[in-house]
Amino acid sequence: MRGNTISQSSNTNLEAEWSQMLFEGATQMHDVIRLENVYTTYEGEKRPAIRNMNLTVNSNEFIYVVGPNAAGKTTLLETINGLLPPSRGKVYVFGQDVRKNGRKVRCQIGYVPQDFIVDPGEPYTALDVVLMGMYGKIGILRKPDRRDLNKATRIMKLLGVDELANRPMGKLSGGQQQKMMIARALAKEPKLLLLDEPFSNLDIDSRQRIPSFIERLHEENGMTIIIVTHNISEISKRCERIVVMDNGEKITDEKLMERPFLLKELYQILGMEVSSRYGLS
Amino acid sequence: MHVPWSVRRGSFGSGYAVDPLTTALVFSSITALFIGPIADKARLHADVITSIVFPLNMALAFVFLTLSPEVGLKTDVANVLWGSVLSITYPDAVYLTSICATTLALIFLFWKEFFAIMFDRKLAEADGISTKPFVYFIIFLTGFVVTLSLKLVGGLLIFALLFNPASTTLQFSHDMKKIVFLSPIVGAITCVSGLFVSLFLDLPVGSCIVLVSTFVFALAVLLSPKRRRRRQK
Repeated sequence: MRGNTISQSSNTNLEAEWSQMLFEGATQMHDVIRLENVYTTYEGEKRPAIRNMNLTVNSNEFIYVVGPNAAGKTTLLETINGLLPPSRGKVYVFGQDVRKNGRKVRCQIGYVPQDFIVDPGEPYTALDVVLMGMYGKIGILRKPDRRDLNKATRIMKLLGVDELANRPMGKLSGGQQQKMMIARALAKEPKLLLLDEPFSNLDIDSRQRIPSFIERLHEENGMTIIIVTHNISEISKRCERIVVMDNGEKITDEKLMERPFLLKELYQILGMEVSSRYGLS
Repeated sequence: MHVPWSVRRGSFGSGYAVDPLTTALVFSSITALFIGPIADKARLHADVITSIVFPLNMALAFVFLTLSPEVGLKTDVANVLWGSVLSITYPDAVYLTSICATTLALIFLFWKEFFAIMFDRKLAEADGISTKPFVYFIIFLTGFVVTLSLKLVGGLLIFALLFNPASTTLQFSHDMKKIVFLSPIVGAITCVSGLFVSLFLDLPVGSCIVLVSTFVFALAVLLSPKRRRRRQK
């Protein structure tokens, strides 16, 4: 019990320190993301995975993208960070065309892919994987130094996985790997965080703790966050805006302040379970 | 996959007056049957095991060819196909040393980029690494190193030196840095051992190197601590 209190208190200090460090010199920005009439088609496919997508995300926004399977949610995230080039339209992130300056833009984006599971035989430790997230930002010909290592260790401690640092990544459970992937995305101190179904493998305790931690990052540091989920019950109370996608198209894009019953309506439309914490079910 | 078996057909079969087609069928069936279980046991992809079995078949085929008096290969052709470490000249050694030093320097300089790309190319790209130049460079470097290693073990046996030492080390470590450091050492030890085996048994050097390195890999799979289960008390 006492150990827990000490651990919680030291975690609070760490979080404060982390928050301060994370956004040293961060400036207010607008239009973090702008998509203009974007169509993205996978190679060999005729039908675009996302169609006629127009989306503007301002700095400090906390957005959930929801929709059923194959709605185009993952494609949207990968189009934003430039991993998938749009077949039509323009994508700007931090005011830069992603097709032209993709690498530079991606150095500022923390990305957690959906269901990323490492094979048990892969020879990478969890710490290796978390550190790798910073390599693009560190830049070519520079080695990660003590400060980078400290950042990685600190974020792992905050997520409660620091004791697993030297274990092979592939030997960790699905939930532990997911936490490592979140740590990897945060270790690079991103200005924009793109999370694709990031809590799907987490246990009940972590499903409370880790989203709260991410919410705090948003509140205290103004990090722009987009979380993709097909499960409305995962939507945070602090979410400001919800984009609903279906069949590759944006169906709704609403601010919760303007439509407080949106979640309830979504529940009715999409037939998904809404957590009792919203008093909607 | 068909090359070694057809070579084997023309070697073991013709060398020992057995129907070549029957021999080929027997050997290819045995090999094909074992690839899956070995891949599972070694926790490696089936294509890695295929890359280990391929030069093993080639090495055995060449041993059988050497043992059969009525079948022969011209020395020049044999040297390119199977290699001959003893025919390496001083300029060759200089080339090999230079390429070795250059490769090591480049790996040291761009280690973190190679490391991230080896883990997952798409994630590396998402983290802001331009993966294309590094991937193309590795392909180019592999081709270059293979060409310069032709005299050592030959064009067909080079797979053994590419895959066997790394797969052997992988059986004992979960740390990529250790694997990258230890693989060349394992490769060098098996090469020297293969050379001595060749001198002792009067068999082709390249084939002996491959046989020794495959034997060491098999031993590593059997002794690997990764597969040891702890007894529950």
